Amino acid sequence: MTQLIAQRPEPGTPRPYRFPTVVRRDVAGGQVVAADLPGHNLAVASLLLDAGGGRETTGVEGVAEVLAKALEEGTTARSAADYAVALESLGTDLSLSVDWDSFSATVQVPVAALPAAVELLAEAVRRPKLDPADVTRVRDDEAESLRLYWANPGPRADAVLRADLFGGEVRHGRPLSGDPRSVAGLSVDDVLGFHRSWFAAPGTLLVVGDLSRIDLDALGRAAFAGATEAAALAGEPFPVGARASRRIVIVDRPGSVQSTLRLGHTAPHRSHPDYVPMTLGAIVLGGAFTSRLNHLLREVKGYTYGIRSEYGLSRRFGRFVVSAGVQTAVTAPALVDAVGEIARTQAEGVTEPELAVARDWRAGQLSVGLQSPRAYAGALATLVVHDLPDDYHARLRESLLHATVEEVSAATAAHLNPTGITLVIEGDAEKIQNDLAATDLGEVTVTAV
Amino acid sequence: MSETGYPWPIETTRLANGLRVVVSPDRTAPVVAVNLWYDVGSRHEPEGQTGFAHLFEHLMFEGSVNVPKTEHMRLVQGNGGSLNATTNPDRTNYFETLPAEHLELALWLEADRMGGLVPALVQETLDNQRDVVKNERRQRYENVPYGDAWLRLLPLLYPEGHPYHHPTIGSMADLNAAELGTFQAFHRSYYAPDNAVLTVAGDAEPAEVFALAEKYFGKLAAGGARPAAPIGSLDSWAGPVSSVVAAEVPAPRVYLAHRTYPYGTPEYDALTVLATILGQGRGSRLYRLLADGARLAQPDTVSAYGVDLAYAPAPLIASATARPGVTAARLGAALAEVVDDLVAGGVTDAELTRAKALLETEWWIGVATVDGRADLLSRYATLFGDPARVGTRLPGWRAVTADAVAEVARAVLRPEDRVTLVYEPMEAVA
Repeated sequence: MTQLIAQRPEPGTPRPYRFPTVVRRDVAGGQVVAADLPGHNLAVASLLLDAGGGRETTGVEGVAEVLAKALEEGTTARSAADYAVALESLGTDLSLSVDWDSFSATVQVPVAALPAAVELLAEAVRRPKLDPADVTRVRDDEAESLRLYWANPGPRADAVLRADLFGGEVRHGRPLSGDPRSVAGLSVDDVLGFHRSWFAAPGTLLVVGDLSRIDLDALGRAAFAGATEAAALAGEPFPVGARASRRIVIVDRPGSVQSTLRLGHTAPHRSHPDYVPMTLGAIVLGGAFTSRLNHLLREVKGYTYGIRSEYGLSRRFGRFVVSAGVQTAVTAPALVDAVGEIARTQAEGVTEPELAVARDWRAGQLSVGLQSPRAYAGALATLVVHDLPDDYHARLRESLLHATVEEVSAATAAHLNPTGITLVIEGDAEKIQNDLAATDLGEVTVTAV
Repeated sequence: MSETGYPWPIETTRLANGLRVVVSPDRTAPVVAVNLWYDVGSRHEPEGQTGFAHLFEHLMFEGSVNVPKTEHMRLVQGNGGSLNATTNPDRTNYFETLPAEHLELALWLEADRMGGLVPALVQETLDNQRDVVKNERRQRYENVPYGDAWLRLLPLLYPEGHPYHHPTIGSMADLNAAELGTFQAFHRSYYAPDNAVLTVAGDAEPAEVFALAEKYFGKLAAGGARPAAPIGSLDSWAGPVSSVVAAEVPAPRVYLAHRTYPYGTPEYDALTVLATILGQGRGSRLYRLLADGARLAQPDTVSAYGVDLAYAPAPLIASATARPGVTAARLGAALAEVVDDLVAGGVTDAELTRAKALLETEWWIGVATVDGRADLLSRYATLFGDPARVGTRLPGWRAVTADAVAEVARAVLRPEDRVTLVYEPMEAVA
């Protein structure tokens, strides 16, 4: 006969939190930042340049992404095909990533292959061929790739939200990777110019692995060879412009069986002193599975497979966004419920049981989410991009664990803006427009984008 | 270089009720992964009950005798952990990774829903989670271009009555039609200790884990007789099959699929290397010939991979999306030609070296986390009765020769066994 134990067990004694030793080394004009993971077979190296989307000017958005793809079209030393085979025969691709604050090129290999992989990484980033015919072809491919991507629900809604929050005249009011049209309009000179302007600085080489088997100086010399000047400073954060009224924008997607929700407003930048309480508040509202939004819209109402809220924060700006896909027929009530929970959280703050989940979850994720070399490389990138000290993660853990209900409630009161939020709904306009108008949540407009 | 793909210790035991327990200690980080494989997947579902295994994956988070609805998620996340569950044709797995001091909590939670779900399962929860699953189906399969490709490929690859014929998400009509009692019976059949493997990897001692497993799971009753999954024959199921779908898609896309070998066989290892040569990375055949060379395919859309299924010949799927101005017919012919050339001419040593290097890295990424290790150990214990066999997969890949690749290519990639699925944009068809 089955017998269950009713009593929930108490936790054991936690071991003290420890982030790996961070090693910083000035080499050949650049900096190597490394974390030691003894015994790991895998190693990761990532060259981080201050050459993200934020460095693009309006009108050429997406140029960093096109350049990233063009780097793999051959180097001064070898053809594109030879390059791909050389790198992949070491066991890695060249993983290229552009976010608002940085460009990164990453290789991940068994540790013995790391020197050769970093040589090849540097060859592509520092000495690409960038033949005009190749650049043109890559640009066309990237424009088509975006057209295919924009056929999915989400990208159009996000572009509409971003433009509404920041305005189309600033770079961050346009999509990070540009849109199919902006990319199609790029010239070869735009791409070459971006490489000249932003890829000449040495940048930072992040290395994670068993450092007893890795020569950091040699890797740094390889990564920084040929680099010349330091990058210009990033600039101050933009002022946070908050709206006073709510609006609904429908992005028409005829025949859609779901409505894709992107609800958002502007927020402070990443280094704002309220970073910890603000982000904990977003977990209570829509980050954890048992958060207010997910509990109500998924677990009680069954409107969605999942709904989440989060802050997207970069060096110079930030935003708060709620994302979900909801069944078309319940779009209006789902929206009313979502806005209701945001307003309740802004007005009433959080409770201790909810905050306890949020703070322990985030603190625990600093161990649970940081196991692989790749994950640690991401953590090092945070240190570098936001100019944080080596013991940042340990300190962050402490401030998460000590955040109080009062602090977090004060942050939700200050930073959530339910009366000025923009509600973008990508769905079948004909089916949802009247219902949305009847909610009185805000004036409704329809756009085809 | 490590000779084995799994250089960590593995210890096992079996409780009197049949629960197999696997422990793989690694004390370097204060993190522990708990993973359970239940030997139930969509392959076990009889006609009229498709989607049951997957719905259960949802219901298992909705409360059990001592754990109220939503408490499971709250307790795991609220103690710093990550958690999830997945269902596929072969099995259902549940897993959480936590700071190591919460190991006992995870075992308590898992035991409670293994032994105590049925009394807590109520109509309201069932109705709510049916709605959630319908939303999952809309979000993942219906509302995205090409989202239903897998749903369309399976019945082309496997005949009616075959355990892989129907997709794991199942039929919404089947889910709607079933009564609460049918689901309760499903749990009693399959969620029994003797139909599961419990693995703990990371910061824990085997002796401690065995004692805790006994404490929490030891008093759960073994299951009764379970209906075996249908065997499913592929005899007389041959001949090229193709299907053309007109849909709201932005460009033509072609899928070629073949039935190959079951996961876990040396032939499937060779097939995995073959798939990497064919369609993984910029140095792959498909990239070089279709994206780069002939410029028929959009570069970031070409791929080939095996789907790791163990109870029948697993599928190999190659696909590509057409560049502007390229028809589905032209792309499909070119895709088939690349596969046919590989069958006719075999592969080079350089291709083999490239593929093995990529797979080697992929392997070490998979075992870089305790959660990755725990899932692999559960997999090998469930599928092959021996978790230590996990160490053989990487050496298995390393041992694959060009001849072995050529041999499996000739055996299973024949044009007469090919399944072709083509998506055409609606306006191109009209």
